[in-house]
Amino acid sequence: MPENVKEAPSGAWYRTVGSKIWYFFNSLKLTLFVLIALAVVSIFGTVVEQNAPVEQYVTQYGEEWTKFILSTRLNDMYHAWWFLLFLAALALNIIVCTFERFPPKWKSLLDHKPDKFDSGLIDKFSHRETVTLNASSDAVKDRLLNAFKKKKYGVVSMGTKGDYYFYAWKGRIGRLGSDVTHISLLLILAGAIVGSYAGYKDFFAVNVGGTVSVPQAEFKLRLDKFWIDYYDSGQIKQYNSVLTVVEDGKDVMEKQIWVNEPLFYKGIRFYQSSYGQSWNRVQEAQISMKLKGKEALEPPVALKWGELTALPGGKYSVKLVGYTADFAYDEGTNQVFSKSAEASNPAIKVEVYEGGKEVSSPWLFVRYPGIFPAIPNSDVDLVFTGYIPVMYSGISVNKDPGTNIVWLGTGVMGLGFIFAFFVYHRRIWVHVRETGKSTEVKIGGTINKNNFVLEKELKDLTESLASD
Amino acid sequence: MILSLVFFTFSFVFYILTTALYLGYWVFKKKWLGQTATAMAFVALVSTSMILISRAGESGHAPFSNLWESMMLFVWATNAGYLIMEYKHKFRTIGIIVMALESIAMLSALLLPYRFKSVEPLNPALQNKWHWMTDLLSTWGLEKYAIGWLDFHVFTTFIGYAGFAISFGLSILYLVKEKSETKTQRNSLVESFPPAKTLDELSYRAIAWGFPFLAVGIVSGAVWANYAWGTYWSWDPKETWSLITWFIYAAYLHARVTRGWRGKRAAYISIAGFAAVIFLYWGVSFVLPGLHAYAS
Ligand code: HEM
Repeated sequence: MPENVKEAPSGAWYRTVGSKIWYFFNSLKLTLFVLIALAVVSIFGTVVEQNAPVEQYVTQYGEEWTKFILSTRLNDMYHAWWFLLFLAALALNIIVCTFERFPPKWKSLLDHKPDKFDSGLIDKFSHRETVTLNASSDAVKDRLLNAFKKKKYGVVSMGTKGDYYFYAWKGRIGRLGSDVTHISLLLILAGAIVGSYAGYKDFFAVNVGGTVSVPQAEFKLRLDKFWIDYYDSGQIKQYNSVLTVVEDGKDVMEKQIWVNEPLFYKGIRFYQSSYGQSWNRVQEAQISMKLKGKEALEPPVALKWGELTALPGGKYSVKLVGYTADFAYDEGTNQVFSKSAEASNPAIKVEVYEGGKEVSSPWLFVRYPGIFPAIPNSDVDLVFTGYIPVMYSGISVNKDPGTNIVWLGTGVMGLGFIFAFFVYHRRIWVHVRETGKSTEVKIGGTINKNNFVLEKELKDLTESLASD
Repeated sequence: MILSLVFFTFSFVFYILTTALYLGYWVFKKKWLGQTATAMAFVALVSTSMILISRAGESGHAPFSNLWESMMLFVWATNAGYLIMEYKHKFRTIGIIVMALESIAMLSALLLPYRFKSVEPLNPALQNKWHWMTDLLSTWGLEKYAIGWLDFHVFTTFIGYAGFAISFGLSILYLVKEKSETKTQRNSLVESFPPAKTLDELSYRAIAWGFPFLAVGIVSGAVWANYAWGTYWSWDPKETWSLITWFIYAAYLHARVTRGWRGKRAAYISIAGFAAVIFLYWGVSFVLPGLHAYAS
């Protein structure tokens, strides 16, 4: 299709500007430029790691380059305004080109006037054949129409006895392939835009037994179980969580999820994405009593989370009320917190009761037994010897109402590709002319792509004319 | 002993032989040499299929999960694509360049360190099966051979790569042939390649297959990612490079269809596109960080 060269009409300034913009986007050179430009700039984003912490850029590239990276948004390039500008240019380019080219194309597909037939036309085609047959023009006409019919061509014929013209066509829909493809690209872009405005992504670390509320939704999610499957060789086979959807206080749905098998409920998907040991909760801790000044430990006692447990001897009872995986203490706020999620310095907090009265609430450390006396003014001390962790499951949450539009777009794209690449628009012109005893058949045509197909088609046609 | 590696050794020899036979046909122009070359290419295809089948048996899953296995798929698809093309268009001399590419691919697979060849169970992210297929196969107790989006993704992507590889080979031949057609002194060896115009058209046809298949590969990868990672697109380097490659070929198609770029310029884009494919396939895995790194 030739480039549509249109001069901007004169008139009000906004018209001039408008048509200049229209003209700019109605360019196929722009398409090539944008496609190549998108390919080239995308490379930067694969070389510079995306969304890494700033310190990482500093160590990798130095101060100066980091400033450059941050100011050009190379660290989050695919969401940078200038990258989105390229995508917008692509979309506008497609829209304007489709508006300009589709209507005339549609018209010429529906309406092919054969009356302008010029027998010199056939000589201009690079694909053409001429055969001379020992048959009447009427017999040739019948054979030809039959052959076209067999090949599922549409045909019109005209002319009078001894001098017939034919025009035959097939695969017109193939011409629409590029338009269908382009519209599908717009759909995919639209889906991506819907997703980024109407959706969200989030992450929860849920302890086994714990419940979380889901943002922008009327329901909660409870983690009932988490476990890991292993291969015989010891390699990890799969991470599994059993999730229950709780709505209005009732369990409405239970599903086991794993990597590749999310839970989908009311437009929101929940994915298994990581796991670990909880940093603020244990199932059970073991402590032992010890006489002050002695080394020997009494047999250990298991403390369940939040339950009051009597220690041997009956004098003291202990309740497990706190845990932190990597103990740290903030002097400013008097707060205990976990420095990291790793169990590098596990500590439990217990409440100690004597005769029903709380006498102390110390932190006990696995690593540092006895650094602080657990019970003031007592001849016994408590030692924290071990614990059974609570696992947490890392659940990614994703709401993306644009996804279905994207899938629709990809389906349309598939259709567009079938039309564009595997349906060929063939147009064949034939001139049948009787000269005395024999009949000369000139046959030629065009195809929008895949010349091999047309060559073969013309060969088949002339062959079927030659045989009765 | 790993059967798939035995078949690999056989196949390697077959590809070398096939290349030699096509070379012989090209130099000596004996018909029987050409026919033997085609037959040998077919033997190599069967043998490559056996690599894939025996690997599926050994690993208990579709054989597309590490670098070596995907190389075998590439070799298989390129060979199959070439044989179909030869059957349809009857141009045997181009076999020499395609089979030379195949031998190079086999050689690079041979040189891979063992850890990229070994039989591995699937890690959690790679376990994606179609439920309907699992259900269907479980009636015969074969459910572990069910495939899913991931396998479909790899398979379609590699058909795309095969198309691009063939187009690359034809573009090189085009450049050689085109150069000699402009000279007055002809070289009888170069002369026996199909006309430059035909090579150009065939190269385009190969891209017309590769482009939609790469698209299906990208989309099915997105479907899989949507199951495994919760988003269909995350701009990870492999994804981005697949898009870059796809854009290059989209530029090829547009230049050709809308601006009439044929011949030399089209051949250069096709060669650039294949360079992007190689980087997408090997470069990204070894050079850039990301979720797809087969190499890690
Ligand atoms: C990623 C972006 C794009 C893709 C993947 C794409 C895809 C395609 C495909 C597959 C074809 C058919 C090629 C063939 O028949 O061999 C095509 C043709 C075409 N495209 Fe695009 N396209 C894109 C962007 C654009 C843009 C931005 C324009 C802007 C005007 C455009 C205009 C055209 C035109 C005019 C044709 C030729 C139609 C014909 O002659 O039948 N394309 N495109």
